[in-house]
Amino acid sequence: MKIKLLLLFTLICSAIYSQDKNEIREMFWGKSDIYKNETNTPEKWKNESAVVIYKYEYYNYKNSGSSVVYTSAIRKRLKLQDQAAVKEFSEFSFNDKFYSKLGYSHKKGSVFFGVKIIKQNGKEIEVDVEKEAKKLDDEKKIAITNLEIGDILDYYFYSLEPFVATYKTFNAVENTLGDVYPVMNKKISLIAENDFYVNLNSYNGAPKFKEIIGKKKYIKEYVLEAKDIEKNDFPRWFYPFVELPCYKFQIYFARNGGFASYKWADVFLPEEDTYLKQTVSKDDIFKYYKEKYSASGELKPVDVFLKGKKFDSDEDKIRAVYNFARHSFYTQYIEAAIIEDANIFYPFGLFKDEVYLSSQQRFIQYFMLFLKDNKIDYDIVLGTGRENGALEDLLIRENVKVLVRVNTKTPIYLEYFDSFTDAGSFDPSLENTKAYILEIEKNKKITKADFTTLPSTTADDNVTKVVSEVSLNGDFSALNVKRNSSFFGHFKKDEQNEKVKFYDFLDEDYSKYGTERILDRVGSKKKQLQYKKEFDALVNKVKDKNKEAYKKSLSEEFEFEIEDPILKVINTGRFGDKTPLVCEEEFAIKNNLLKKAGSNYIVEIGKILTNQIEIDKKELERKNNVYMPFPRRFENQIVFEIPKGYSVSGIDKLNKNVTNTTGKFTSKAVVKGDKLIIDVVKQYDNYYESNSNWSKIISFLESAYQFSQEKILLKKI
Amino acid sequence: MKFSSKKTLFIFLFSITLFGQKNIEPTLEDISSAKTLRAKYDKDDIAILESTENISFDLNKAKTKVQVKNSIKELLMNINHRADINKYEFYDSESKIESFSLKYRNQKEAYFPVKDEFYKDDDLFYNDAKVMYMTVDFPVQGYTYNYSLEKKYEDVKYFTSLYFNDEYPVIKKTINITVPNWLNLELKEFNFEAGSIVKTAVPNPANSTTTYTYTVSNMPAFTKEENTPGKSYLYPHILLIAKSFKNKETVTPLFNSTADLYKWYKSLIDMMKDDPNVMKEKVKELTANAKTDEEKIKNIYYWVQDNIRYIAFEDGIAGFKPDESNNVFEKRYGDCKGMANLNKQMLKLAGFDARLTWIGTKHIAYDYSTPSVAVDNHMICTLFYKGKKYFIDGTEKYNSLGEYAERIQGKEVMIENGDDFIIEKIPLSTSEANKEAFTVKLKIDGEKLVGTSHKEFVGESRTQFLDIYQSFQNNDKKETLERYLSKSDKNIEVSAIKTSDLKNRDQKLTLDYNVSVSNKVSGFENEIYVDLEYMNEYKLFDLKDRKTDYQFRYKTDYESNVTLEVPKGYKVTKLPENLSIQEKDFSVQITFQQIGNSIVYKKVFNFKNAVIKVSDITKWNNFNKKLNAIYNQQITLVK
Repeated sequence: MKIKLLLLFTLICSAIYSQDKNEIREMFWGKSDIYKNETNTPEKWKNESAVVIYKYEYYNYKNSGSSVVYTSAIRKRLKLQDQAAVKEFSEFSFNDKFYSKLGYSHKKGSVFFGVKIIKQNGKEIEVDVEKEAKKLDDEKKIAITNLEIGDILDYYFYSLEPFVATYKTFNAVENTLGDVYPVMNKKISLIAENDFYVNLNSYNGAPKFKEIIGKKKYIKEYVLEAKDIEKNDFPRWFYPFVELPCYKFQIYFARNGGFASYKWADVFLPEEDTYLKQTVSKDDIFKYYKEKYSASGELKPVDVFLKGKKFDSDEDKIRAVYNFARHSFYTQYIEAAIIEDANIFYPFGLFKDEVYLSSQQRFIQYFMLFLKDNKIDYDIVLGTGRENGALEDLLIRENVKVLVRVNTKTPIYLEYFDSFTDAGSFDPSLENTKAYILEIEKNKKITKADFTTLPSTTADDNVTKVVSEVSLNGDFSALNVKRNSSFFGHFKKDEQNEKVKFYDFLDEDYSKYGTERILDRVGSKKKQLQYKKEFDALVNKVKDKNKEAYKKSLSEEFEFEIEDPILKVINTGRFGDKTPLVCEEEFAIKNNLLKKAGSNYIVEIGKILTNQIEIDKKELERKNNVYMPFPRRFENQIVFEIPKGYSVSGIDKLNKNVTNTTGKFTSKAVVKGDKLIIDVVKQYDNYYESNSNWSKIISFLESAYQFSQEKILLKKI
Repeated sequence: MKFSSKKTLFIFLFSITLFGQKNIEPTLEDISSAKTLRAKYDKDDIAILESTENISFDLNKAKTKVQVKNSIKELLMNINHRADINKYEFYDSESKIESFSLKYRNQKEAYFPVKDEFYKDDDLFYNDAKVMYMTVDFPVQGYTYNYSLEKKYEDVKYFTSLYFNDEYPVIKKTINITVPNWLNLELKEFNFEAGSIVKTAVPNPANSTTTYTYTVSNMPAFTKEENTPGKSYLYPHILLIAKSFKNKETVTPLFNSTADLYKWYKSLIDMMKDDPNVMKEKVKELTANAKTDEEKIKNIYYWVQDNIRYIAFEDGIAGFKPDESNNVFEKRYGDCKGMANLNKQMLKLAGFDARLTWIGTKHIAYDYSTPSVAVDNHMICTLFYKGKKYFIDGTEKYNSLGEYAERIQGKEVMIENGDDFIIEKIPLSTSEANKEAFTVKLKIDGEKLVGTSHKEFVGESRTQFLDIYQSFQNNDKKETLERYLSKSDKNIEVSAIKTSDLKNRDQKLTLDYNVSVSNKVSGFENEIYVDLEYMNEYKLFDLKDRKTDYQFRYKTDYESNVTLEVPKGYKVTKLPENLSIQEKDFSVQITFQQIGNSIVYKKVFNFKNAVIKVSDITKWNNFNKKLNAIYNQQITLVK
């Protein structure tokens, strides 16, 4: 009986599957397919590897009662115009069955894949996917048969993902209209029932989504159609979402109206009784953050920290508390996470009453509470990174970055911390942008939203200073280099991530704040000893790996191998936004930068500056505007020790000066005693330059590159 | 209630951890031993202190096949500060893993989760190989685990070899092979250095077996170096050749001789049901306008090269049996066997005598004197034409008919010949056949070197160039060629590029272009310093710390001729000294000459056997230092 029932169930399932499969096939390639006979591609794209004749993206959000069904699909019909394209599309892989991670219950989802080839003589060959696909674990792989240059390949992936939820914020989708190949026709269709709240819009000249009115009023369909889209091209210093036609959307599901509130929703909700939101206003911002942000947390650890401490100003106090909080509520968990990850033991049970600020929201709320408690005036600032486009185009909630502005004499901005953030400095992508400011009444309640402009930094704030002392070794076979580097402002973070490792900054934090280390909390002395040994072993292993990584990074900087370099971090730069990260390095350059010419030597002294940006032919023809991460300056001093018995020639060429409104490159060389001293400055003045200024940027970049190629002659006296 | 059950679970899990932690830390002796080993094997994290491998044989239920049982026990030690490894074992449709476990030092089971997945490789579209593995951490130096594996092979023909080296250095290894008297098994030893491996044979009359025991000490890990010969050249190993077995009074032959191997291969190709009709039209089209037989052959062979994609399937018997030619033709893809079969059938349709041909590439040390499936790993097609044999490898791209890739040159092939077979060797070629030449004529124009360049390629240098060039997207080809010629160096500008037909794989490939090189001429007072070395050939080819032979992709012959016109009114003060080296496997000549008002700078690199042997690596490295010294010299011109 059981077997019979099972058989019946299998047959029913298989019938449903076939029905689905056929319906899906019909949806893409059926009678309504207006592109089924389209095989021609425009003359202007004849040299492209492939041309997309039609690209269709489909999204459907349905509440089927017991579960939510999220459907997403893509169809591409493209002409393969060279061998590279044939190779690119010769194999596909997909997971035909998967478990959804979207809701509470792990329901099984399905992916349907269809593919056909249209030969040059018009013959259509549909691939029997079920027969041809090979299964490898969860993945199915298929090699496309009979594929040749000139063929049209037409394929779709259709994913059906049911899940159970009472409310759910879907991942945001943000894409340019373009593809890696040019697209002749594009359509995006988004269908959502009334329980789904839609944030949706298109930008930068992309066609607008149109609402299609169907028979069923509770189902909304939005369609964007576009034609003749050039392939994506992302040059240096470029933000695609600022210039290229693009679209963004995000969906929120609420099983009933009760969940359509900011208590649950993590998107900007449309007006009451509507389901579509295309722009976000000041009022929307106010409503969302008023609901989400309120002062809360446990101040005891900060109170204990502050006990007995005196500060000259609120400013000093804020900075001290921020650094303490960064350790107490963040970095002290790093060691535990590493211990757990390395399988040494489970350490989190040893924390008692500790506070871990695991999100931006918790961080902001904590500081709201602290500032309220300490009667220090503050606001909340909400901005979006320049890479997302203008504030007026803000749509996706998670693109909002939140800062606390403490209204001390000189306002201090606080952002959610990581190991290297500091009070006073914040994400450079927000600098100099228009933002929202939430005013707080009596340090307690968000009462109003307004506009503000976030402060900028200049090239004086973001500086890399490097002094390189260079000398020849005894037998003139290598150059010995001692470098002292200081990184200020926004230069710090990347360098800290590369050069300051957890074992450096954790020791610094534990020693500064006298916090009990997690390993010291292990009760059993025997266990403690064992875990300490294991942790030390891990640290030693990581140190060895980092030594290799540093060597690789330095070699890449010079573009040739540097052997056995030594790096010392003199100051981690983690305390004080004006405090630089300071490093000292020592290494020898062999087989490079030194050339023999009879009894004389040529030194490629310019290359001590390390590799400079090389503008190629294609970049000269740049059409886009230029988006820099932040204004910045590189100051280099090269101190070259002239060997005894030699004179230096060729220093004239080391003097350069290209200065314009976008930045500069200057270099000045002088001989002082037995030293050749070259002072070099490269500076980018602005966050943004219009394309008309590109040639000005190129002019000082070319000068910098040319400096890097300059040589001096050491002439035997 | 809920809370308390969670708490109970927590206590339970915690107590397991505590229980599991007893007597597993390394002893002081372990730590000391680990430190000593790390000093010796400073690139390895793990050492296998002891490894014992037992191999025994049995007949399957039907008494038709010889099964193999392979059991391995290893004592693994972490010799670095800490180690995190995947301990893994492969198996496939012909083998199965019966047990796979790891124990702590105290012999308690270490319950690392065991994963069982298909083995995925970018070069293989699909294969039936699976991998069972666990991710294991060794928290401190000297930490040990006891590993044990039981694996069974259903058919002795797939149990081909036993190695003494491993992924990690092996301090002591014992292999016991217990051979029953009913099994005629040859143990063929390769790369056994005198005295390094001790072998004993102990008959056991009680169970009618003989146990062969091999012991060895201090074997380094398999090399992680690239461009090395295959491991069958590098490491001692035993090839197991099961020749026949006796069940009661019946003797069943297995691979007693090469003829048996061929017989089995033939049984597989006899299973194919080729339908050449489907490609009849294509063959007709390809040969219709051909004026000669050679042209017909080329049209077919090149069509297969250009239109059949290499997609490798290794699925059970399909790993040995070619796909039908009609399938490969219709699918437009196949593996080496499918492509060989398609070449054969298409050539046959055009009226030629073409046959399937098995071959072990250069990666494999064996020849067909050894009857084993380990002998070959590739299939091609042999064309018999006017008393000559042409070897046709469908997996090669832009290969000219009659030229052979280095990977198959000099290797034995087994050519089908009805019930018989033919053993031949693929002809060897010389490095001259792959010559790449670069000529540039330069003069000084201000602070630039300007002139005209010419490059030419034949043989495998041409094949490689065409293969890479044609793999780029059409719209990137021009830019890619410019980047190649300028070595992506902003100082080198190339223009007015003229090429020979970049689809023609038979003629000499030529590239002519204008060149302008910046920042290589430095004027100081009355002197001009010229850096003629802007191509830097083999500058970075330093084989520092290399422990194994370096194999080139092909026998390489490279010649560069740079001519610089000395500007009027200037004379050359001194030219760098010439440099040369002449060894069995490689030779280099670097010469500077002043001829009239020109400096002729010539470099010839010849790696005539496509290898630098490990014994010559010091010589090469010393030479490379001198080469760099030459490259770091400038030519001084004085007014």
